[in-house]
Amino acid sequence: MVPLPETEQKVTAIMDDQPVMVFRDVVKIYPLPAGDVTALDRVSFQVDRGEFISVMGPSGSGKSTLLNLMGCLDTPTAGDIYISGTRIGDMSDEELTNIRRDRIGFTFQHFNLFPLLNVIENVTFSLMLRAGKDVGTKRAKEVLRSVQLEEHLYTHTPTELSGGQQQRVAIARALINDPDILLCDEPTGNLDSKTGTGIMELMTELNRKGTTIIMVTHDQNIASYSNRTIRISDGRIVA
Amino acid sequence: MSGGIFFEIAKRNIRIHMLRSSLAMLGIIIGVVAIASMGILGNSMVLAVSESLRTVGDSVIITPHVGGSAHGFGGGGGIGGASSLTITEQDFLQIKRVSAPNIAIPVLQTSDRMKLGVGSDDIVAAIYGLNPDDVPDLLNLKEGGYNRANSGCLVGSKFAEDHNVKVGSRIAIGTDGDKGTLRVTGIIEERGMAFDVSTDSAIVVTRDWFGGAYNRNDYDKVVVKVKNLDEIADVKTAIEKQLNRRDTIVDVMDTRKTMETLFTAFGQITTFVTAIGGISLLVAGVSILNIMMMSVTERIKEIGIMRSIGAQKQEVMWMFLYEALILGVVGSLIGGVLSLVGGYAISSMMLNTTKYLFVPSSMVNIVYGVTFGIIICLICGIYPAWRAANLNPIDALRHE
Ligand SMILES: Nc1ncnc2c1ncn2[C@@H]1O[C@H](COP(=O)(O)OP(=O)(O)OP(=O)(O)O)[C@@H](O)[C@H]1O
Ligand SMILES: [Mg+2]
Repeated sequence: MVPLPETEQKVTAIMDDQPVMVFRDVVKIYPLPAGDVTALDRVSFQVDRGEFISVMGPSGSGKSTLLNLMGCLDTPTAGDIYISGTRIGDMSDEELTNIRRDRIGFTFQHFNLFPLLNVIENVTFSLMLRAGKDVGTKRAKEVLRSVQLEEHLYTHTPTELSGGQQQRVAIARALINDPDILLCDEPTGNLDSKTGTGIMELMTELNRKGTTIIMVTHDQNIASYSNRTIRISDGRIVA
Repeated sequence: MSGGIFFEIAKRNIRIHMLRSSLAMLGIIIGVVAIASMGILGNSMVLAVSESLRTVGDSVIITPHVGGSAHGFGGGGGIGGASSLTITEQDFLQIKRVSAPNIAIPVLQTSDRMKLGVGSDDIVAAIYGLNPDDVPDLLNLKEGGYNRANSGCLVGSKFAEDHNVKVGSRIAIGTDGDKGTLRVTGIIEERGMAFDVSTDSAIVVTRDWFGGAYNRNDYDKVVVKVKNLDEIADVKTAIEKQLNRRDTIVDVMDTRKTMETLFTAFGQITTFVTAIGGISLLVAGVSILNIMMMSVTERIKEIGIMRSIGAQKQEVMWMFLYEALILGVVGSLIGGVLSLVGGYAISSMMLNTTKYLFVPSSMVNIVYGVTFGIIICLICGIYPAWRAANLNPIDALRHE
């Protein structure tokens, strides 16, 4: 592998002794013509390595905003966010992108696999972003096995898979770069309850093996799989 | 670098939208073919003309001024309808003096009926009268020898071919041969069209014979062969100064200048036609821009996902540039191949030859067309690619 440029080494160096994620008095304000909307109001919490956390709250309470900040898709208006000890407050778009690629795993309610790529290619996508096209399939197969996807599906395209299978591929894609944290937005939102249960069992299993997981959900049953629940209301943590 | 996967995605995206990609490519193909084949045609035309005029780029041609001077009437004109305006012996001597040491060649010219052998039909052909001493300076023979006798003549190669005339054949000049019969001593090399004498379909007789047969003691034109090409303009000026002091009695044409003017005109026509081809390529570029914008709009969500899992702006940008480039390169290359076919067809149709097609100055037009096609596609891909790269990942993710 090509050695990473110095700046990237700095931001990607793993600091195992640090909490995976720290929010300290984080404020997010959306400036709107009709008046500013305070989506998050002085939110502080900490995620330790190996935790499995669910985020719950009513619609409009700020869950997506929180997830976007945790996923380095956005930066806070005020306050500090640390990912494994790295402060992301005033990073450039390029640096944030590298953190997303190397430290964060993302899954979405609608799975959002790349329609033009097959299962293996979808899973290796961010590995290819880091290391080029010829990354091989060994690591992808390893991860796909860990999400319990049948081997004969590896060369299928997303449209040929069921919802549950797609979500497994999406989780595998999120895990390929061995991220510090897995962020899941409504991981079972588009699945029937039986398939949803299967995904939750998989996530529990992944967490038992050491993956740190934060998921946003509306569903109390789904939240019960987690070790801890962060409840927010009107942009504040209430429990 | 991760270029590979984005190139792969670009390729697949073109493939799944084959119809619209092909249509956009068709535009590029047409544009490239238009540019390249117009360029080829223009160049072939210039080459064809310059080849047929090649022998005469070194002359100054003096003809009687057309346009009402009373001076210079002489001889009463030939039977074959030569112009009544001529150049007198005195004028010729002046021309000869000022253009020395270059050779001044007086030319007599008419056309008349003639018969080749007993019982054959009359034909009409051009007849040139030249001093035997001047002929070797002006004409090269491909068969036989130069003629010095008043009973002999030379014939042009096309004349010989068309009428099956050989060295030794006899030609009876005039209605029922009333001007006499001449023996062919030589056949002149093909010269193509020319400003001085166009002998390919003509016969060349001695000046004395011509003067006797058509009662002439003057000339139709004078050709000055200039040895040093840089002097052409000077010779022309000197002659004009000498003869046109009071009245304009002669027109002096510098063949090199005339050829240059001709080629400039050809160049302008070619540029104009090629520019029309260029416009069709621009239109094709707009269609590329259009499908690229469609491609970006359709894939906003996909772009959002890519960005959220770690694709850099410029990687997204390249994905779309690759798409435009693939369309451009494939379309332009197909266009390049087709313009070879098109150039071949146009050349053989309009010039009756394709020998000017496979020469560097023609082929380079294909390179221009292809390059221009690729560049247009790339330029038209830049804006959509930039738009895609600079989408806000959060907004893009939320897009349905
Ligand atoms: N891009 C934005 N521009 C302006 N205001 C925004 C933006 N995104 C969110 N908001 C506002 O911030 C607040 C929190 O929104 P957010 O999307 O985080 O809620 P949520 O908890 O995810 O809701 P839901 O459960 O419906 O998804 C809302 O008042 C919302 O209107
Ligand atoms: Mg939300």
